[in-house]
Amino acid sequence: MLKYTVKRLLQSLITILIAVTVVFLLMRMLPTDYYFTEDQLMKFTPEQKQAALEAAGLLDPMGKQLVRFYGQLLHLDFGTSRRIQSGLSVVRVIGDRMGVSLRLGAIAFCISWFCGIIIGVAQAAFKGKFIDWLGTVYTVLVNAVPALVMYSLVLVIGSNVFGMPTLYSTRNVGPSSVLPVICLSMASTASYALWMRRYMVDELTRDYIKLAKVKGLSYSQIMFRHVLRNALVPMVQFMPQSLLLTISGSLLMERFFSVPGMGPLLTDAIQRYDTSVVQTLVMFYAALSIVGIFLGDLLMMVVDPRITIAEKGGNR
Amino acid sequence: MAKASDFAGKKDDELFYVVEYSPEEAERIGYSNYSYWGSVLRNFLKNKIAVFFLILFLILVVFSFIALAIGKYDYATLVPDTAPAFTTPNSEFWFGTDNLGRDYWCQVWYATQISIRLALIVAVGECVVGVIFGLIWGYVRKLDRLFTEIYNLLDSVPYIIYMTLIALMVGQSFTIMAVSMIFIGWFQTARRVRNMVFMYRDREYNLASRCLGTPLWRVLTKNILPYLVSVIILQTALNIPYTINMESTLSYLGLGLGIETPSLGLLLAKVRTFFLDYPYLLIFPASIVSIISVSFYIMGNAFSDAADPRNHV
Repeated sequence: MLKYTVKRLLQSLITILIAVTVVFLLMRMLPTDYYFTEDQLMKFTPEQKQAALEAAGLLDPMGKQLVRFYGQLLHLDFGTSRRIQSGLSVVRVIGDRMGVSLRLGAIAFCISWFCGIIIGVAQAAFKGKFIDWLGTVYTVLVNAVPALVMYSLVLVIGSNVFGMPTLYSTRNVGPSSVLPVICLSMASTASYALWMRRYMVDELTRDYIKLAKVKGLSYSQIMFRHVLRNALVPMVQFMPQSLLLTISGSLLMERFFSVPGMGPLLTDAIQRYDTSVVQTLVMFYAALSIVGIFLGDLLMMVVDPRITIAEKGGNR
Repeated sequence: MAKASDFAGKKDDELFYVVEYSPEEAERIGYSNYSYWGSVLRNFLKNKIAVFFLILFLILVVFSFIALAIGKYDYATLVPDTAPAFTTPNSEFWFGTDNLGRDYWCQVWYATQISIRLALIVAVGECVVGVIFGLIWGYVRKLDRLFTEIYNLLDSVPYIIYMTLIALMVGQSFTIMAVSMIFIGWFQTARRVRNMVFMYRDREYNLASRCLGTPLWRVLTKNILPYLVSVIILQTALNIPYTINMESTLSYLGLGLGIETPSLGLLLAKVRTFFLDYPYLLIFPASIVSIISVSFYIMGNAFSDAADPRNHV
């Protein structure tokens, strides 16, 4: 068990390292003009530019830059933001935004798990009936219709019919986060409902369900005591991952409602060439998804003692 | 029916005799009119909802050409004119006008064609590249490690980074967009194909094939690929709504197509600030883009069910 964990974490570490290196190299391939603000570009003479680049160590050979970068990582020094919030350490920049994304994400997470499981259970319990059909229409629509269209519809209905604020504002946090939370939870509700239904229906055809029927258990007893509990096991695996990923925010949603969260930070940072922010973010995203998957496996093991993690082996 | 008493007291050679060879009979018994694609088509046509969406989609495609032909304005000659800005749909401007007073009808239908073209090219491209690499990834053991690393690399860096960097370094156009979306998306298909190949590559019949010296290419295309048809079709069909979704997101973020090639996503992104007051700006592109996405989602699922040989006969 311990050996397996260590091996897996080491493998993940290598993956993260490779990803960060690739992004580091890619960012260095951009023209150096991106390093300066428009103001500086106008005023600076070529010599001044050269001096500024040299001072920042950006003209050194690539290998030397990489080694220095790894050295900083070892000291957990993620650098300072250059353009987004000039002079502030990257950790602060990310920390500020993470709070906002996490709050919205956590609420949406609770809502979508609650609704998703209820819809899935209802669909499985009334398989082939109207409720099942309604749920399927919902999942198909949410899965197929582009998110941008979905958000636009939510926005139009929410603001024209219910009079909700159309943009997120820090002065009016409560009401203005209603629409963003709805948008965030819609898609995940659909996917949880879809899987919940699938697992429940699969479970219903098992032999032990037949035995339970023969023993004379009522339908609801079978549903809740046997089917639901067994169907929840594979669902639990997604739980930590989806909670952790809410930290990273939804790029489109946060742009759409101008939420000052993590989502837009990444594109902003790339477009404004804030290299240290980009590198830290990539590392952070990769680490989040790897930790999420790992926690999911652990949680599944806790919920169902029959599953042991070492058996699965292999790399993900 | 022969009764048991008929056979009593008779010898074996009276009971069993060699039938003369008759080509007609042989033909009648040996011939089965089972054809794989015929069955797929029959099963698909049984699904009324999927057929409905197929027809709807075809009508939409045909109509986008008719609409451009009968429209009163031509996309190429649109000029900004603030006087008729935000005209609600009427007999002159069938879908109204946008914030710059340009006819919305021709913009919407022109964008529809571009969106459909982009989605189809990307989906087919991802399918071709993904299947080829997936087959190699799954079949050639030595390359597994290499491909897995490439997969991890592409998967763990958010795609938005690649798209932003491509937009900054290479530029924004239809071709660049299509190529970069294929570059980002192929490995999902490849991974699925690889997992399927893993299941089939060491079956006995493949072992026998290898022993008989069948060339690698033939083993891949004749022995393994047919098993993957339904998975590949499903993946390709689902890639279309996925591509449309991604393209509209990217357009909204300003990383999508250039201005000279308007897609439905770009139209939606452009009217974001106005559609609360002028809902018609949202309704037309939104409903068309939804019809396309839902059609492919449902057709893909139906076709994949139909392509599964276990559902035949």
